[in-house]
Amino acid sequence: MDDFHILLPTLVIFAPTFGAIILALMPRDNVEGLRYTALTITVVTFVLTLMLLGGFDFDDPKMQHEVVAAWIPNWNINYQLGIDGISLPLVLLTSFICLLAMLASWSVTKQVKGYLILFLLLETGMLGVFMATDFFLFYVFWEVMLLPMYFLIGIWGGPRKEYAAIKFFLYTLFGSVLMLIALLMIYYNGGQHFDLVGLAEQAQDPEGGLLVDLTMQKWAFWLLFIGFAIKIPSVPFHTWLPDAHVEAPTPISMILAGVLLKMGGYGILRIAFPLCPEAVGHASTILVAIGVISIIYGAFAAMAQTDFKRLVAYSSVSHMGYVVLGMGVVGVVGAAHGEGFIGSDYWAMGINGAMFQMLGHGVSSAGMFFMVGVVYDRVHHRNINEFGGLASRMPLYTGLAAGIFFAGLGLPGLCGFVGEVFVVLSAWQFSKLMAIIAASGVILTAGYILWTLQRVYLGAEYKGPHEEALTPIRPRELIVAGVLLAFAILLGIFPNTMFSIMDDSIQHLANGMAGKIGS
Amino acid sequence: METPLAYYLFVGAVLFVSGIVCMATKRNGIAVLMGVELVLNGANVNFVAFAHYTPLGLDGQIVSLFVIVLAAAEAAVALAIALNFYNNHQTIDVDRGDKLRG
Amino acid sequence: MTHIDSKAWLLIIAWLLPLCGFVIEVFAGYWSHRCPGGRYKSRTAAYLAVGCIGGGFLLSLSALISGISDWGLLEHQTSHSQAAPLESDNPDAHATAHFTVANVPHGEDADTGETGHGGGQKYVSGEIYTLGTFGKLRIAIDYYVDSLTLIMFTMVTLIATCIHVFAIGYMDDERTEDHTDHQVHLADGSHLHRPGRFYLFFSYMSLFCFSMLGLVLAGNIFMVFVFWELVGICSYLLIGFYVERRSASTAANKAFIVNRVGDFGFIIGLMILWTSFGTFGFKSYTDGNDGAHPEPGLFEMVRDDHGKVDVEKTDHGSIVRIQDHDDKSASIPYWLLVAAGLGIFAGCVGKSAQFPLQTWLPDAMEGPTPVSALVHSATMVAAGVYLAARFFPVFLPEVLLTIAYVGAITLFVAATIAIVATDIKRVLAYSTISQLGYMMLAIGLGGWGAGLFHLITHAFFKSLMFLCSGSVIVGCHHEQEMPRMGGLRKKMPITACTMLIGVIAICGLAVPGVSLWGYKIAFSGYHSKDAIVATAMTYAHLNPAHSLLFLAPLVTAGITAFYMFRLWFYTFAGEPRDQELYDHCHESPRVMTVPLMILAFFAIFCAVGGEGGPLYTAISHSETIPEHIADSAITLPSHKQIAGYHQQAGILALLVAAVGTLLAWLMYGVGRPDPGIIRRQFAGTHEFLVEKWRFDELYDAMFIRPVHVVAAWFSSFDRRVLDGVLHWFAHTGVVLARWNRWFDESLVDGIVNWIAVRVQAIGQSLSVVQTGRLRQYVMFIALGVVTLFLLMFALFPQT
Repeated sequence: MDDFHILLPTLVIFAPTFGAIILALMPRDNVEGLRYTALTITVVTFVLTLMLLGGFDFDDPKMQHEVVAAWIPNWNINYQLGIDGISLPLVLLTSFICLLAMLASWSVTKQVKGYLILFLLLETGMLGVFMATDFFLFYVFWEVMLLPMYFLIGIWGGPRKEYAAIKFFLYTLFGSVLMLIALLMIYYNGGQHFDLVGLAEQAQDPEGGLLVDLTMQKWAFWLLFIGFAIKIPSVPFHTWLPDAHVEAPTPISMILAGVLLKMGGYGILRIAFPLCPEAVGHASTILVAIGVISIIYGAFAAMAQTDFKRLVAYSSVSHMGYVVLGMGVVGVVGAAHGEGFIGSDYWAMGINGAMFQMLGHGVSSAGMFFMVGVVYDRVHHRNINEFGGLASRMPLYTGLAAGIFFAGLGLPGLCGFVGEVFVVLSAWQFSKLMAIIAASGVILTAGYILWTLQRVYLGAEYKGPHEEALTPIRPRELIVAGVLLAFAILLGIFPNTMFSIMDDSIQHLANGMAGKIGS
Repeated sequence: METPLAYYLFVGAVLFVSGIVCMATKRNGIAVLMGVELVLNGANVNFVAFAHYTPLGLDGQIVSLFVIVLAAAEAAVALAIALNFYNNHQTIDVDRGDKLRG
Repeated sequence: MTHIDSKAWLLIIAWLLPLCGFVIEVFAGYWSHRCPGGRYKSRTAAYLAVGCIGGGFLLSLSALISGISDWGLLEHQTSHSQAAPLESDNPDAHATAHFTVANVPHGEDADTGETGHGGGQKYVSGEIYTLGTFGKLRIAIDYYVDSLTLIMFTMVTLIATCIHVFAIGYMDDERTEDHTDHQVHLADGSHLHRPGRFYLFFSYMSLFCFSMLGLVLAGNIFMVFVFWELVGICSYLLIGFYVERRSASTAANKAFIVNRVGDFGFIIGLMILWTSFGTFGFKSYTDGNDGAHPEPGLFEMVRDDHGKVDVEKTDHGSIVRIQDHDDKSASIPYWLLVAAGLGIFAGCVGKSAQFPLQTWLPDAMEGPTPVSALVHSATMVAAGVYLAARFFPVFLPEVLLTIAYVGAITLFVAATIAIVATDIKRVLAYSTISQLGYMMLAIGLGGWGAGLFHLITHAFFKSLMFLCSGSVIVGCHHEQEMPRMGGLRKKMPITACTMLIGVIAICGLAVPGVSLWGYKIAFSGYHSKDAIVATAMTYAHLNPAHSLLFLAPLVTAGITAFYMFRLWFYTFAGEPRDQELYDHCHESPRVMTVPLMILAFFAIFCAVGGEGGPLYTAISHSETIPEHIADSAITLPSHKQIAGYHQQAGILALLVAAVGTLLAWLMYGVGRPDPGIIRRQFAGTHEFLVEKWRFDELYDAMFIRPVHVVAAWFSSFDRRVLDGVLHWFAHTGVVLARWNRWFDESLVDGIVNWIAVRVQAIGQSLSVVQTGRLRQYVMFIALGVVTLFLLMFALFPQT
């Protein structure tokens, strides 16, 4: 049993790779067989991640399921995996969204074998990123994830796929280069090892420190932050996102919005924050400003779009702004003297809210992209002004879509609300002005989502081409949408299920850093 | 009473120059070969003469023996070439064989 | 689960029943419709919804009765007893009312002698489940039950039950597979045909009831916000029920977005409270404490046991000390607490359609009439008033003054627009806004009980009038324009009669000076409006600078009477103006008229006894009487002072209302002076009112268009500037690469090739020496040797 638990993280990461090898050995003509095999693999991976959850101790803020093996001993690089309250929900989200995206992949008909293999490799990369506790290994997985994505957009994408794929790839690569520089800075300043847990302890040691020179630490922090902010994506590094989404096939859009964007937020929490605590204290104002600008900017930009997918992509920019905002309210620890009396709890709440926002957005945005995909598969256009009247033609689909869009709107009882509200609530202590601007986002969000719903689903008549193709939702689509909506509701009503996983680790992080920032 | 070294060297030089002149003037291939032999033997004389001053006293003789063997081999090959040359050109005049010019 | 009080249990079940109903209706309804030979004709969904909400009513009623016996809600509190009930000289009139003033202990001592539940503290509160915990911070789903909760629950469930029953009749034409929507014209000119959505309507209604009850049950302000949003979305769904109508979906969007503007303020209020107090709870838990010192709630933190706010002047401006907290020195800047109050009130402004966010409510009449009756008159819009009342202890005088002025402006503006509106539902909508303004005004003036009193009575008579209008609309085959009606009383006697009851109730008419068994001959609206006007009059006497707050409601009482009777005369009296419409008109079926009669009964009797009656007494048990704050420019009237002005105010209000009624009768009943002539004489004013004071145009120009412009800017900024920069980088990269290629191909390669060419040329020229002549080579060798020797001798002379 113990052996199995040690093996489990590795199994989780490489189960999809193993599946990809199996698929590679199968004949390319048996399309259905390939699909079902791939689906089975994702189900198995999901079950394995659930076993991770099963063996997880909710009250232990430290890394669990740790695996350490020397990989390149000359440079102290280890194959080191671990799970804590911050990564576990994201691991679950990844395997869950991959499973649903695989179900949604039936709409892909071109070169199915290659598609499925790349899909599974992508899943390996993403799971690896969330579970690696060795900085170098993290970096490797980060890059591993990049290539399949490039091909998935570049081969199976829409009309401007090459442009979008290259834009995505170069943008992210640029970010990883910055991360690489920071990696080297930290490596040579931190006793020449890559162990993230050890580095974090070193950095938060009240006596010593990791990057003792503050200027150096600030540089490292900003390099890391920009690297991750590109992934989130925060304004002004976001322009790759709309293009990538518009061109990517539906399931890949789901993964892109549902999981990939979270890697940025996760990277900030796992690497940038713990390793550069003092710099975070100095940077918090800018982080909060970036978050708030993203919220407002994304919402405004979404309102002006006429391409359905582009609109959803911009709404992602807006929603992920809350993540940056929630993490950035860190300064409250320092500013707490005199005004508040509870201190870093508000920051922990902000991070909790940000994490929840990531999960909620993972579900709701994946759902929104899927919903767009469902109509796109039928009528092959995405011009919002040429829809209308879907409510009477596809009533069940419209009901589900409305639910998922309401989740995106931040309606209480659905997943989008909790994260947004907790983040905004914790922001007030940091800066009243910023909090007010962020809160005003609720009006804009309501504006663009309701306006979209009206133009697409309501009304008497469908105004676009291929009217005859508007057939009711199919069972497979119904399963995907239904499951997503069900989870949106569950998360919205019982957010504590997730908070109970995350809270201890986040408190641990917040308390660890608080000492450094306060000083 | 020893014969002075210069005598030997003189004989060697005469042989060498004779050989060179023979090679330079004769158009008959065989005669050129003979010139070569003269040159080699002129050198052999010098080796043997200098050997007297070496610690062992026999080094020159040994080198000379090598040279003789090599000369024999060389002569054999050269004669074979000459024969072939004759078969192709009906002559052994070396001036006629300028096919290797650049 | 920890111990939960039985009243709370009853209410929680009453709250969850409609949710179960919703889930069943929405799923079962959908699938049964899709079945082959679908069961469109089934009324099951409606029966289920009625059952759920009716069950909820019974549970709430038993909770109310239990509350009455536990807490003695019908006994006057001594602290309030100065408001001597005018008719208390005849106590045996109402069996359950005990006007035993003397039996209750005097002063605040009653509150301090806590003997467990229902002793001094007349509320129960506890946790249902936790949403999240962050260190000491905790956000949960709580319940808070006091007399106000109980009464609101009973009122909401009762009215909702009546309206649900009414809706069975009203929505009957949706029970078909091929419903024709005459208001939607397709591109080919035909009307829209669609399957009916009978079940969907009732599932939305159930969801709404759940949300509304949750809002009332909420034990903390965060939960209020949660359900605040949920009722908002239900309202959105119900207004936009006819999704095919563009006007309906636009109105739904408008309603939700305008509400969101208010919610924006609400969130700011939440942020301030959360950051300053670290809790959202109203009051400390009474259930599930296990003897530990309970975490104090907001009300206990702002005010001490005597309703006093501890204000202190410091160098940085005034601060308010936070009571009952671990940290004795904890405080909040005075202005921040004012801002928090204003923020929360902004939410109320949105939800209750107060000035300046009133524009959404008239448009919301696009929804089916039962929705207008339930959501947009009786319950949801009153939630704003409810919250303002619930949060009363946190409001500082500045906030209250703002509330009062907002209420006063609203009630006047809306009433003026109602004069010229011709759509029967819109008249009622403006009347609702105006009445909500009255309630807000009352709360702002410190007339807490009066405002809530009016909330309850208004809920009954306004839902009654909406249902009557619904009955008229169904009778007239979906005609809503009053100028085409007239004389309908002959065709629809029950509707006309019940409507008249509602109209009299809202106008506040009464028979002065005469009483029957000690009770005034007056409908419910008289009592509550009387209470408000009396409060306003007292307030104006205490604070002469704010006399406007008295004039506005007084004048508007006349306007109200005018436009309400105008509506009634227009619709029911006189001769038919459209004979064809009249001929096809018919009285509604029993399923619709019975709810009308029930509501009419309550519209008459619910406020019986006025401020001495059971309803007001029960409400006033939840009142927090704010202590006067030092240095405050405002003096809030006490109950005793109000009682002094009551008589005077009552007569004034009655007089004004009578004038309004008379004018309406003359103009629309008799026809002299002719309304048409007056309209022409005041053409400018008339147009201004018809255009609703041009608020819509103003907001369109001020907000909506700028937002779209900014959105377009941001979008093009993205495309032009950000992508432009990116493309510039990409382009520069390509140009650099080209340069690199040129450098590589012409310079680096050039040098290498030049060397190669030179070497080849030298070799070429040297090949001349290669003659192929053997003897020449021999000569070369010989000469070479000689040359070497010569060189050696020349260069290395013997050492």
